[in-house]
Amino acid sequence: MEQEKVKQKVKKVVSEVLKIDQSEIEDDANFIFDLGADSMQSMLLIAAFEDEFDIEMEVEKAQEVQSISGAIEFISTYL
Amino acid sequence: MNKRAHLHKENLQTLFYPKSVAIVGTNKVKGTVPGDIFTNIMKAELNGVVFPVNPREKFIGGVKTYKYVIDVPDDVDLAIIVFPSSVCNRALEQCGQKGIKAVIIISAGFKEIGGKGLEREKELLEIADKYGMSFIGPNCLGVINTDPLSRLNASFAREFPAEGNIAFLSQSGALCTAVLDYALAKKIGFSKFISFGNKADISEIDLMYYLMEDEKTKVILVYLEEISDGPGLMKAARDVMRKSGKPVLILKSGRTSEGASAAASHTGSLAGSDEICDAAFKQAGIIRCDNIEEMFNIAIAFAYQPVPKTNKVAIITNAGGPGVLTTDAAIKQGLQLAKFSEETTHVLKRSLPSTANIKNPVDVIGDARADRYIAAMDAAFKDDDVDGVFVILTPQSMTDIETIAEEIAKAAQASEKPVYTSFMGEADVAAGIRILEQYQIPHYSLPEAMCKPFYTAFSFNKMLQEKVVETVDFTDVNKAKAQSILTDAEKEGRSYLPEYMAAKVIETYKLPVVGNGFATSANQASEIAEGIGFPVVMKVMSDDIIHKFDVGGVVLNVNSKKEAEQVFNEIHSDVNKNMPEAKIDGIHIAQQIPQGTEVILGVKRDPAFGPVIMFGLGGIFVEVFKDVSFRIAPVSKKVAVDMITQIKSSALLQGARGRAVMDIDSIAEAIMRLSQLAVDCPQIKELDINPMIVLEKGKGCFVADTKIII
Repeated sequence: MEQEKVKQKVKKVVSEVLKIDQSEIEDDANFIFDLGADSMQSMLLIAAFEDEFDIEMEVEKAQEVQSISGAIEFISTYL
Repeated sequence: MNKRAHLHKENLQTLFYPKSVAIVGTNKVKGTVPGDIFTNIMKAELNGVVFPVNPREKFIGGVKTYKYVIDVPDDVDLAIIVFPSSVCNRALEQCGQKGIKAVIIISAGFKEIGGKGLEREKELLEIADKYGMSFIGPNCLGVINTDPLSRLNASFAREFPAEGNIAFLSQSGALCTAVLDYALAKKIGFSKFISFGNKADISEIDLMYYLMEDEKTKVILVYLEEISDGPGLMKAARDVMRKSGKPVLILKSGRTSEGASAAASHTGSLAGSDEICDAAFKQAGIIRCDNIEEMFNIAIAFAYQPVPKTNKVAIITNAGGPGVLTTDAAIKQGLQLAKFSEETTHVLKRSLPSTANIKNPVDVIGDARADRYIAAMDAAFKDDDVDGVFVILTPQSMTDIETIAEEIAKAAQASEKPVYTSFMGEADVAAGIRILEQYQIPHYSLPEAMCKPFYTAFSFNKMLQEKVVETVDFTDVNKAKAQSILTDAEKEGRSYLPEYMAAKVIETYKLPVVGNGFATSANQASEIAEGIGFPVVMKVMSDDIIHKFDVGGVVLNVNSKKEAEQVFNEIHSDVNKNMPEAKIDGIHIAQQIPQGTEVILGVKRDPAFGPVIMFGLGGIFVEVFKDVSFRIAPVSKKVAVDMITQIKSSALLQGARGRAVMDIDSIAEAIMRLSQLAVDCPQIKELDINPMIVLEKGKGCFVADTKIII
């Protein structure tokens, strides 16, 4: 899948889970520091990414992913 | 004081008295740390303005909220970071950019989890250093300042404590909440309440220096789990005590002595971490407490009452039994019952019924009302031999508990002498105890419990009056030579120094080593023996032989050159016969010392406190009774003499039961020289001088055997 397409899908998921307008999500935004995700929402994000991309991620490593750009890079390894 | 300690001194005032506070990472969710911190700070009515910082919220609790701390339009004095640990670095970086100098990092997930947490903590320090910031934490409950000028509750504790003059510092956040609850029940107030967590930046030492100058603080209490800078802690406690007269009470957990069993020397095996901690605290004037209750029992004595000038007390009770129990406990603790003057006796006789006991302990009899207590207290206050009053009450049917409590409290407040109380029981006396607590009169559930706080306050005051004796370095030592011997031994791959080499090391510090030498031939042995002077002792030197006597490797009373030659050959032949596999390096020859008292001196290097010096009497006193004393080097003459006189068996050196008085001055000098050697030569891990033979007063002492582990 193209990087750009992955980015759009990641932003869509983040927008839905964190209830933020997609236009407000910067490419290098940190889920916690910039978008205000709490620990529960961080877990929900992992599940939502798996559903959206139809992949199964290694939870421990996925929890280390903290930003939009990090998520794109990490998810790409499964595609 | 290092650069960061200087910085902390400036920044801590801002931290405790901020005019504007940003809570970075707070939220609206009650019952969470980020949410409750905001609630607490608002509830306490901070004397300043609060800026919540949250990436998503526009308002929290009706207060305008900013996405980033750098968006706050005004200056910010203090930032409280409550973000998850993974982004605390980013939050701190922004605090630095904003020009904030004081920060509290509440978040956990740092050093305490190891690995990544350690890296994160290191990164926080780098950021703080870059911007000249100081921070408390991470992994802490937070900070409370009850001063009305501040009213800062930067914590997630359940309650904001009452204002008081006790400062409490704790490495454990959970303990803080328990202490707050305990104090709430006992109506104990605090000046500052600080949970410092991982102490990555600001440590208990920095806080102690701050509190030394804090006008609101009279007593400093510290709970510690680990001591990372022993000498720094000792210096801070000494400075606080000497410069401000404030006592430092420490509750240090971990009284186990793991590690001591693995030691290779006598000193190593006797000096467990807790014994060393005890010695260090004592040396620094720190009051060590065994538990929270004891800590507060002592703290309220210091906080509420004047310190006693002597150890003489008057006991006033309405029941004979408790009076006797308290008398027993007082005497056992080291207190004395004051001897009343004729005038006091006369006043008491006039004021109390004929059945009352007018001698100390004074029994005002079970039916006593407030007037009898007050009469007895007044008489005791006026007596020059009384320096403190213990008031005991048991609840009889006619005892007007609340009135008595009120009157006692008023009388105590008007007196310059300390008054401690014990209203015995639970339910009936509860209202009276509340009154005493409100008036800040120390109250103890059991009357015996009054004795230790009184004695501690008296001892502390006595220590404050003592002249400080500084350590003085000897100038006739040869540090370079000692270090060169030790370095050579290290290069040879040795883990310990054989006796003749160890003797050379301690000789460079002019410790009184007996004349000695090392011979590798019979002819050389006879020449060395003649040089030392007869009689001599000859010992085999071999890394393979531990018990030299058992293999015929030690011969005493060698009296001539010819005999020395013969003994040299005999030792070789006996050892070869008894232990043929042993490689003999040579024979050590030493002057045979006249009979005296055997003592042991030692050194152990402690990871927290550095070199520790040990002293004890030799033989069974050290082996069986473990009757030894420890001090942290360097050691002054006063401390060295204390070490000698503190051990239980010291009477044997001081002429007990018709014995000769031994040369204590020479032992003290040997301790001081050994202490200087231990400080100068960090290569020495452990050292035993065992035995050192002490002769009669004026005749000195001699080191007979030395072992050094490097």
